[in-house]
Amino acid sequence: MALPEPSTPRDLRLDFFRGVSLILIFIDHIPENILSYFTLQAVTFFDAAEVFIFISGFTAALVYGRRLASKGALYATAQVLRRAWQLYVAHIFLFVLFIAEVSYTATAFKNPMYNEEMRVADFLNEPHIAVIKALLLEFQPTFLDILPLYILMLVVFPVILLGLRRHWLWVLVPSATLYLAVQIFDISVPAYPEGHVWYFNPLAWQFLFVAGAVLGSRSQDESVAALLKLAYPVAAVVFVAALAVKVSWTIHGVWETFPGLFLKELWPVNKNNLSPLRLVPFFALVALVATLVPRRARFLDSAAARPLVLCGQQSLEIFCLSILLSALGHFILSEYDSTIVVQLVVNTAGILAMLLTAALIDWYKAMDRMPNVQPGARRQGDKVAR
Amino acid sequence: MKRRSLLCLAGAAAVNLAMSATGRTEPSECEVPPELSAISAKLPHLAERLAARQPVNIVAIGGASTKGAAAGAADLAYPHRLQMALAGYYPDVPIAVVNKGVPRQSTQQMVERFPTDVIAEDPILVVWEAGISDAVRGIEIDDFAAALQAGIDELKNRAIDILLVDMQFSRRTSMVINFEQYLKAVHRVGDLNEVYVFPRFEMMRYWSEQNMFNFDDVAEDERVRLAAKVYECVGRKLAQAIRTAVR
Repeated sequence: MALPEPSTPRDLRLDFFRGVSLILIFIDHIPENILSYFTLQAVTFFDAAEVFIFISGFTAALVYGRRLASKGALYATAQVLRRAWQLYVAHIFLFVLFIAEVSYTATAFKNPMYNEEMRVADFLNEPHIAVIKALLLEFQPTFLDILPLYILMLVVFPVILLGLRRHWLWVLVPSATLYLAVQIFDISVPAYPEGHVWYFNPLAWQFLFVAGAVLGSRSQDESVAALLKLAYPVAAVVFVAALAVKVSWTIHGVWETFPGLFLKELWPVNKNNLSPLRLVPFFALVALVATLVPRRARFLDSAAARPLVLCGQQSLEIFCLSILLSALGHFILSEYDSTIVVQLVVNTAGILAMLLTAALIDWYKAMDRMPNVQPGARRQGDKVAR
Repeated sequence: MKRRSLLCLAGAAAVNLAMSATGRTEPSECEVPPELSAISAKLPHLAERLAARQPVNIVAIGGASTKGAAAGAADLAYPHRLQMALAGYYPDVPIAVVNKGVPRQSTQQMVERFPTDVIAEDPILVVWEAGISDAVRGIEIDDFAAALQAGIDELKNRAIDILLVDMQFSRRTSMVINFEQYLKAVHRVGDLNEVYVFPRFEMMRYWSEQNMFNFDDVAEDERVRLAAKVYECVGRKLAQAIRTAVR
């Protein structure tokens, strides 16, 4: 495979769009949020989750491919697993916060009309099992379901990486076959409590991650760029058609007299198994963005794009923060007031908190990398950090 | 939100006026804004029965909130309240509402007991309350929608009218259970099949916002009384919706 040179400058498009997807995930995770009418899921069959997983695969291939080339398979594997471990710890941390929230709510909850339906709180009756199931990633409460997928993808990623070194088809063909098998035989992965499944079916979603990794590993390849250019007109037609259909559904949902195009035929579009109806328009968008947004697009370096780029660069921290902030935002909206003004305030505050935290982490990491210098030489040190 | 409450205040005032004019004893605390009472769907088979003054069998199938144990007695669950309200509207037609609520069942499990619990009762209308358990159990939206569709198809094939009832609302549960997707799904299935979906969730949210039923700072037995009150309102509103749909 054509490994990118270690000196290749960072592709800011990846950071930028991952940053955007993190903001959109935050917005979509607040139920009944007015702003969610303006996110991807309102206008396309897919949503920010696809963007996040695809770019994660792409970036993983870039970063660890480089490590593999320079320091060998063992080191690259160790690096990938270390990252998976970081994600795992972050996930367990979020889980503990979730448990705190739910057990508090379930205990303080006094409405008898829900006593029988509050099955969610059942795990409070068997915490010894629930905790183990959480550690095994089998217990995935709402909105804590995307990190388990990411963790699993990284755990198998060393194998993907070695396969990519041989030939990309070694990886893409099995992955696509598995994806198709899931579509045909409707295979799902069981979770806890009984009857639940992995919300993001890893057997299906792996294909998106792997597709990202394949493209990432061949990002320097001229033939891929040429192929994308060739596919561009078709991609444009597919994407716009899907866009028109989904927008008509969203309008129909608000204003019933507006017809929802092909609603009867196409709805519902399966997210758990990553329906082709989600996947194909998403790939079309990838082709469009790859062609329309050049690697060195000027806006990526602009001050306006900078906060989003930083968000994308600190994706793990910002992702975890967004999960917390959306839960907090939801709490504020349901407990106090949910008028549009309050919704906008909650959204703005949450997004600002994410952007500022990303900038802070970036600053901290830069300071951390800066060599300790004498007071006299400080100025120069500052420059290095920038 | 502001405008909605204003609208509702006006609505409540109008109802109060109407009440004093006709001497009817409908408590205004069940009132909802007019957009939640709008109904365009029809119940043709039921309408026919009512017009012919023939006996009417209605089956209410659903989960714990249909069974109504929270109110303390079967007579206090919404299906019985519905029967009483309908008897008031159509005094010369014998109307029975059979309660087939079973807690903690998914929509698919309800469809599976259609032959024994629904068809065997020979109903002309089925009030189908679905979605809470599916949301709690995290059943895939596709499977939930497919189960609803299968049930609707079966009833339509047998010339039985259908009315769907969506989820219960409570501020606190929404922190723990994510109802949004399931709510959207049940309304979309209703829309695609031209079946009326009774907006229980929005109505209860409205009552909650108006602080009509406060479960938080009251004694245990008061909470049971409040639950009965909510079921009574749901039953009444359902009866009103049915009366509008058969006109």
